[in-house]
Amino acid sequence: MTFQDLILTLHHYWAKQDCVIHQPYDLEMGAGTFHPATFLRSLGPEPWRAAYPQPCRRPTDGRYGENPNRMQHYYQYQVVLKPAPDNIQLLYLESLAQLGINPKQHDIRFIQDDWESPTLGAWGLGWEVRLDGMEITQFTYFQEIGGIELNPITVEITYGTERIAMYLQQVNNVFDLAWNESITYRDIHHETEVQFSTYNFEEGDVAMLMATFQSFERECKRLLANRDKQLTLPAYEFCVKSSHLFNLLDARGAISVAERTGYIARVRSLARQCAERYIEERAAMGHPLLNRRMGRGGAKSSGTRSKTVAGRS
Amino acid sequence: MSKAQKRRRPAPPAKKGRRLSSVMAAELLLEIGVEELPYQFIAPALAALKDSAEQMLKDQRLGFQSVRTLGTPRRLTLLVEGLATRQISMVKEAMGPSKTVAFDQDGQPTRAATGFASGQGVAVQELEIRQTPKGEYLFAVKEEQGRPADVVLEELLPQLIAKLSFPKAMKWNSTGVRFARPVRWLVALYGGATLPIKAAGITAGDQTKGHRVLGNAKGFVVKDYESYLKGLERQGVIPDPQRRRRVIEDQIAVICKKTGFRLNVDADLLDQAVYTTECPNAIIGSFKSAYLEVPQEILITSMKEHQGFFSLMNRDTDKLVAHFIAVANNQVKDMTLIREGNERVLAARLADAKFFFDEDRKVKLEDRVKKLAGVTFHQKLGTMAQKQIRVGKLAGLLAVQVSDQFDELKPVCERAAALCKADLLTGVVGEFPELQGIMGGEYANHDGESDAVSKAIREQYLPRSIEGELPRTIAGQVLSLADRLDSVVAFFHVGLVPTGSEDPFALRRNATAIVRIILEGNLRINLGGLIDNARNHVIDDGFKGIQDSEQQSRRRMTEFIFERVRHYGRVVHVLRDDVIEAVLKPAHDKALDLVDLLLRMKALESVTTKPEFDPLIVGFKRSHRLVEKEQWDHKPVDLGRFEHPAESALYQATTEERDKMMSAMNRGDYGQALDGLVRLKPAIDAFFTAVMVNADDPALRSNRLSLLKQVDDLFMSFADLSQIVVQGG
Repeated sequence: MTFQDLILTLHHYWAKQDCVIHQPYDLEMGAGTFHPATFLRSLGPEPWRAAYPQPCRRPTDGRYGENPNRMQHYYQYQVVLKPAPDNIQLLYLESLAQLGINPKQHDIRFIQDDWESPTLGAWGLGWEVRLDGMEITQFTYFQEIGGIELNPITVEITYGTERIAMYLQQVNNVFDLAWNESITYRDIHHETEVQFSTYNFEEGDVAMLMATFQSFERECKRLLANRDKQLTLPAYEFCVKSSHLFNLLDARGAISVAERTGYIARVRSLARQCAERYIEERAAMGHPLLNRRMGRGGAKSSGTRSKTVAGRS
Repeated sequence: MSKAQKRRRPAPPAKKGRRLSSVMAAELLLEIGVEELPYQFIAPALAALKDSAEQMLKDQRLGFQSVRTLGTPRRLTLLVEGLATRQISMVKEAMGPSKTVAFDQDGQPTRAATGFASGQGVAVQELEIRQTPKGEYLFAVKEEQGRPADVVLEELLPQLIAKLSFPKAMKWNSTGVRFARPVRWLVALYGGATLPIKAAGITAGDQTKGHRVLGNAKGFVVKDYESYLKGLERQGVIPDPQRRRRVIEDQIAVICKKTGFRLNVDADLLDQAVYTTECPNAIIGSFKSAYLEVPQEILITSMKEHQGFFSLMNRDTDKLVAHFIAVANNQVKDMTLIREGNERVLAARLADAKFFFDEDRKVKLEDRVKKLAGVTFHQKLGTMAQKQIRVGKLAGLLAVQVSDQFDELKPVCERAAALCKADLLTGVVGEFPELQGIMGGEYANHDGESDAVSKAIREQYLPRSIEGELPRTIAGQVLSLADRLDSVVAFFHVGLVPTGSEDPFALRRNATAIVRIILEGNLRINLGGLIDNARNHVIDDGFKGIQDSEQQSRRRMTEFIFERVRHYGRVVHVLRDDVIEAVLKPAHDKALDLVDLLLRMKALESVTTKPEFDPLIVGFKRSHRLVEKEQWDHKPVDLGRFEHPAESALYQATTEERDKMMSAMNRGDYGQALDGLVRLKPAIDAFFTAVMVNADDPALRSNRLSLLKQVDDLFMSFADLSQIVVQGG
């Protein structure tokens, strides 16, 4: 199965589970969780199902294209379902079967892995899913996002697309993956790894990055402060951008251990305010998706949902 | 899973031909079906489930034969055998107001009486008047009829489930219930009938599930424990953790026998295998032998921490071999696919580890030291660079005390200290923090440091657990002591002390290690002085502490260390509490030589078994109480004032024994010193039989008290023997 077939297969499968097949967000981000289709949609009472691939940037993981597993840019395939269906583990295992991984032939394990993102003020409990010892998926029941306790609970499934493809194609180097019949992962991404590793570790202009971080942070705060304008979505974009700038500064070694927590707290504070504002705005709109029938079968609304809008933790 | 509510139905005419209605006891089976629990949570949850089930049944007056639990990552199961079908009836009595208060002059019940009656839920007329030692009082007597067990259980079981608590819990559905992972089904059967209890938004039924892939999708119906076990077995689940443990051990033993390798035994890994599987299946895999060039600790740790693999050793050389054992949770005819998958993952992990190891050796430890200024020790306590310097100072002071050859030892300790934390900045330790010290030793050796220095760095974190292996080299002992002493004193200084079960910086473990290294290494050092030094170093580094004097601070520290000494004495040397206390009590403000204190305790413990010991202490305590309580002029004993031979005999005996005792104590021969005290017994007894201490003549009385004070001083010079508990003392 080629890399692109893997994504197409997941698209197909999760579309059948009434997921919106979303598109990647057009900003640099460290994980699919930053995508508003996860971060914002997890908030509040409205049901939601979405699936999408998301390119992820982790500047410190760059290895100049020399490491067979680590890259500063890779693809997550993200699925979010709210409320979390009772049979979600089964649905997930069935998706593996669709990819040609028959759970009966393998040792598939759900190993405790509790997830936390200090930058997003978010945490959840769940597992890393291992296929014959290899981690292929992160599986998380979100409990808080932006410091806000969730109700209903969203489940997030994050497939490590390269890992799974490497397993299916029996290759030991990510760059050897067949993207389609004629083009490899190397053709598409090796040069990006080399150039971005060089930029991230050696060439990024620290002063420029620092100033940009600050102006993005300021812009986010400014938009949030002007409540009447209702510009939470642009504000959240600036929050995501400042998070990426923090990662770039980190890769440049420009942030000391002592400063790290301070920077993370600054981004978290932006994320938290965006989350709070988003909840208010959706409530003001009357939660448009609350009674919408979803897909064919419909993600039915559960009885008690409207009772509690996500409370502050 | 069928959520359909099963109606309670009579037990099927079971094999033994009994029906619930006709027997006095029946079996209760409760299964909580869950998504995969964190494996560390399972054993404690099962223990808690058993305890609280027993407690609840007792509180509810429901008799039972036995309670046991079973569990896997996907189920927590409770089995109660011989559970009574009905609660025991009970008569409840409550005492109310006295008769005089309860009735007025006309003999009518007062408000006190009616209030009591309604509070107890009985009519006033039903109250009884009974004679008590305090007079006549009202009593409410109620008979509580025992209710049928199934009715009680329907109330009880949901509470039992709700009471289970976990270190981390989550919500997953609209009920808002918290559990370690989502609960997906419940089985509750009593005497073969379903108890339709509700918990976490689920109604219990008689339907369970087998293994995720070995079982069938629909699960199966459970009638009783026997059919439960059989059904699970058929569907690939061994629910009993003990059995899974044996199965895994047997499978590993078979592999070892076949290959001739020896298992590198690891209790944590075995637990992990037991509690992450329902159908354990141990397989052997291998990796490229080229990786064996990497220190085996790295390989073992990588296999364990990343993959949960057991490592294997060559029986003859005791060196790691290029194989591992993985315990899968599936049974496939051909395990090749699973084995190859695991091998491939491990290969990538080991490649990473080797990469880090190769990279690390390109930079000398010495050159990493200055970067320690960027590593925080603790927010309130600055950086690792500062800590390392403090450790060096203490190590220098310790080196001089522990050995006569300090000319050699001191530079070794100081050099080792100067490099000891540098490995925190290496790639391998970044990846595997538990290899700190071990990697430092490895890299020091590679950098060309002396063997003694490398070993000391390697041993600095020993013992790694309460009963773990101690440093073998003196420099290793010194470094470990210096590091821990600094940590304990520094955290105490800024007020971060352990409270209750909270000990985030493992200060108790550090203190235990200090005690063990000193006592088991027979290190004669002045711990009190070193505590002062350590504190001064922390103050010199500019860390503001809580406001207390050096003496107060020393007291808190010694008391903290003594708490560990007490525990150590009790557990390791099986010493009596009063013996330990007698020795520790006067030791607080002196130079602290723990080795000496332990010698005293052991000598004292051994003398306590002599038949004359208890009577001796009775006599001593009598004199001790007198000199503590009475006031007198404390003039020296005047031999001319002796009236009775028993007085001069005691004086003489005391004087003689004092000299012998002092010289025995100076030699450290505490057994002989105590024998001297024992020899005083007849003289003390004769004295108390013959004379009255509180004589009418004040001069006579003073002289006798002064004589007793001499006796007391002699006893107290060994230990505070007034702490010793004896009959009649």
